[in-house]
Amino acid sequence: MLYVSGEISGDSWGIFAFLCAALWNLPTIPALNSTDEVGAGQSIQKTYDLTRYLEHQLRTLAGTYLNYLGPPFNEPDFNPPRMTRAEMVPSATVDFELWRNLNDNARLAANYRAYTHLLCYLRSMDGQVAKAELRKNLGHFCTSLQGLVVSIASVMSSLGYPLPSPLGSANPTWAQGPGATSTHNDFLKKMDDFWLLKELQTWLWRSAKDFNRLKKKVPPAALMLRLEARGF
Amino acid sequence: MASPVPSACCVVLAAVVMVYAQRHSQMDTHVQYERLGADVTMQCGAMDWDAAVTWTANGTDIDESHLNGSHLVLRNVDLTHSGQYACYEGSSWHLKYQTYLKVGTSPKEPVLMCRSNNYPKGFYCSWHLPSPTYIPNAFNITVMHGPRELVCEKDAFPKNRCHIRYLQLFSTVKYKVTLTVTNALGRNATTITFDEFAIVKPDPPENVVAKPVSNNPRRLEVRWQNPSSWPDPESFPLKFFLRYRPLILDQWQHVELSDGTSHTITDAYAGKEYIIQVAAKDNDIGTWSDWSVAVHATPWTEEPKHLTTEAQVAETTTTGTSSFVPPPTTKICDLEAVVGSGAVTVSWAEGLVLAAVGVLFI
Repeated sequence: MLYVSGEISGDSWGIFAFLCAALWNLPTIPALNSTDEVGAGQSIQKTYDLTRYLEHQLRTLAGTYLNYLGPPFNEPDFNPPRMTRAEMVPSATVDFELWRNLNDNARLAANYRAYTHLLCYLRSMDGQVAKAELRKNLGHFCTSLQGLVVSIASVMSSLGYPLPSPLGSANPTWAQGPGATSTHNDFLKKMDDFWLLKELQTWLWRSAKDFNRLKKKVPPAALMLRLEARGF
Repeated sequence: MASPVPSACCVVLAAVVMVYAQRHSQMDTHVQYERLGADVTMQCGAMDWDAAVTWTANGTDIDESHLNGSHLVLRNVDLTHSGQYACYEGSSWHLKYQTYLKVGTSPKEPVLMCRSNNYPKGFYCSWHLPSPTYIPNAFNITVMHGPRELVCEKDAFPKNRCHIRYLQLFSTVKYKVTLTVTNALGRNATTITFDEFAIVKPDPPENVVAKPVSNNPRRLEVRWQNPSSWPDPESFPLKFFLRYRPLILDQWQHVELSDGTSHTITDAYAGKEYIIQVAAKDNDIGTWSDWSVAVHATPWTEEPKHLTTEAQVAETTTTGTSSFVPPPTTKICDLEAVVGSGAVTVSWAEGLVLAAVGVLFI
């Protein structure tokens, strides 16, 4: 089985358990055979493919959802100023040089953190949508997005990187459900949804580029050395 | 002690200068911009309305019928009215007034477009007027990214173009570009809004080369290079779209290639000249480039031998036809076509030999 770190501490057990549960539900992750030379490469490729798939799904989903929100959210030129509330959603925007010089661990960790947050927010959006069809589509999308999170976790583990700390601290107060928001904040809530979808779309575009870079930079040989070091 | 002669010279000189200045003070050259189709009235400086004056246009006297007193009246001006107008006092022929008339129009809404052919470095914007104004125009461009205004650096060439470097990538905030055009007769503006990803369009692939493949009459090998303006094909790979057709047909065949900068066409019609083009696109975002420069190539054909091959006989029989019917993909030696032609008369026995040779070459 996979070990996240040499010593197994309390936190790591939690992560370990989560991973196990996730992996149990996702049999498509390739078994890391020591003779499988392209294990990490394949995982990265699969993660890349997943981001492209999700980006494509999101286009349809976002179009439908924005129409559900109504104008001005579904207008093509709608370009509102970013408000501080919306900044709780992790931003894909990054300084060019910084992005270029990210090491593999940081790059993967940024993606992992972003999608775990985005998934959480999306799920809360899920529960509040009035139309059943839209709720169902959102639900499917969330499942696929979860697959992406697990895929990224798998890549990080196979490369020996620790997973970023779990979501316990991030408790988005504004995404707690209808009870927390009054009718006065209806517009603001729609605005939050708008920015969530925008940020998700931008992250999926960015991830395609992130995983392209990772594809080139992670040669199978590096993986072999790491696996050997861990006694596989 | 001041000498009388030099001081007298100074006085005379000063007087001459003053007179000259007085004469020419009324001759500051004005420039006047007027709208196409307008009526223009020019006054002869400070002269009274009933003074006797002569107007000239580019040195040629203007007929008195155009005068209203000492004022020059030009009706419904067009571009031919542009030029230098001068007014002289009747008797003394002193130049009283001079102006340059330029006839034009106020600007129509300009055409503005922005594009990133060098992602992720930045993008450029270029603009033009849909119709000329015939008078000088000034352009001003502003680029807003959310609350921030970015500086668009003007290119030396072409002139109506400026470029911006991306400071941040993967931005969720749209860019808003406004172009204002102003001239002496009016102003106009246009605004476009776009996402960072929407304007990505590479330049077409470069150095497209197509070559025949020896001993393969149905193959053509095509190679090309990434456009030189694309800064980082390693991290931002391009995918390609290749299209090809024989010159004599109108319908293109297409191949999409997700990596690599070469491709071998394997279904070319033997002996036919092909036209080939390639386009590029970022793997994930933006739109396809324009098509590359077209290259021509013909697949390899065997050198003529003592025994003519089936391919060459087919060539001679079809050159005379006006409409081209593509041969079937599995080559069948069509004895009818061979025997029926007047260009090459072949006996039945020789036809059999030809058929055998033809089969050998399939």
